[in-house]
Amino acid sequence: MGIFTRTGDRGRTSLFSGERVTKSHPGVEACGELDELNSHIGVVIGLLPADAADLGVELKAIQSDLFQAGAWLSTSSPSASGGLLKEMDNGRIGVIERAIDRMERQLPPLRSFILPGGHLSGAVAHVARAVCRRAERRVVSLRDAGGPDSVDQLEIIMVFLNRLSDYLFVLSRYVNQVNGVADNPWNK
Amino acid sequence: MSGPIPTLYRTELLSRRRLAENAFEITLARPAGFGFRAGQWITLQFGDTGRDYSLVTAPREPNLALCVRHVEGGTYSSELAVLEPGAPLSFTGPHGYLVFRKSPLKPVFVATGTGIAPFVSMARDGVNGFILLHGVSTGAELFYREELQAAAEAYIPCLSGGRESAVSGAYSGLVTTFLETGLPEGAYAFYLSGRGEMIRDVTRLVDDRFPGSRIHSETFY
Repeated sequence: MGIFTRTGDRGRTSLFSGERVTKSHPGVEACGELDELNSHIGVVIGLLPADAADLGVELKAIQSDLFQAGAWLSTSSPSASGGLLKEMDNGRIGVIERAIDRMERQLPPLRSFILPGGHLSGAVAHVARAVCRRAERRVVSLRDAGGPDSVDQLEIIMVFLNRLSDYLFVLSRYVNQVNGVADNPWNK
Repeated sequence: MSGPIPTLYRTELLSRRRLAENAFEITLARPAGFGFRAGQWITLQFGDTGRDYSLVTAPREPNLALCVRHVEGGTYSSELAVLEPGAPLSFTGPHGYLVFRKSPLKPVFVATGTGIAPFVSMARDGVNGFILLHGVSTGAELFYREELQAAAEAYIPCLSGGRESAVSGAYSGLVTTFLETGLPEGAYAFYLSGRGEMIRDVTRLVDDRFPGSRIHSETFY
């Protein structure tokens, strides 16, 4: 598969549902945020220790979810998806919630705000968390702007991103602990 | 750590027929559990390497047929060109997003060369009433002409090989030139399948001349 098509050289691109839109379209903006988030998660995966294979598998599944979410965000209506997109449902949100609980059980209780940082993997997880929050805001903007028609999917994506940012916060603490780095509390 | 491994389907070559000097069709046995949407493609495995080929059969047909461009000196198409019936093959798939989507917009299919394959599958799957442009060098490369003609509202072969290649009822020129001059302005659902240059040029044309249109595309190399 070739990387460049030159079909977007003039500032326009195609949504998954086929419409030609400007690259500043809110759906394209939201997809771009998911892409950035996904890339940061990729860095976290690359920084995981060799014995954290299960965590890597979990994060790759989340990366696939983000691809799916991006396709929905750039689909004007469910019928325009051509039946190619898998509907997102609450099942994946449940998986993330259970993962949060699993990691939290292995962490000391949180008694104050903590500063983003620590081991490089934890620091990047914090970046991913912040980007996830921004992606969530962009999806809300997209919803507020009146599109796309896939309202059910949009609402699930909003919940998914809200929960994912919590997951990434806990993940940053968890990978810091795995790497022997303690939380860095905020001293007011 | 690796992602899910795509299912590798095992099959065998059933038959082969020549479509033109530079293209042929092969039929494979359909492995149990393999499903696809009209317009999708599969990746045939040759050792560690994969090559992508479009399915021309409809999803409900019992076997799978692929349209193969015979590349002169090409390792894989040359291997497929001489493979004996019964030879084992394996593939992954289905892949691709060039499937027909219901829309109030008039569908316009634009293909170059063997890029026609997805539209053959769609026509065999019952899609009709479309405008189809097939860009080729000579009339001999108008694969599947009769059945596409039967399903299309308008079937327009676009021959770029000069006057000596002319066939009755064909437009002499590129698909892009036809779109510039022969298709009334308006909004359409464009489906593009073929060379990257064609897809780039048609996309620009759509942006300029057919606002409000949709574009679905698959690039063939």
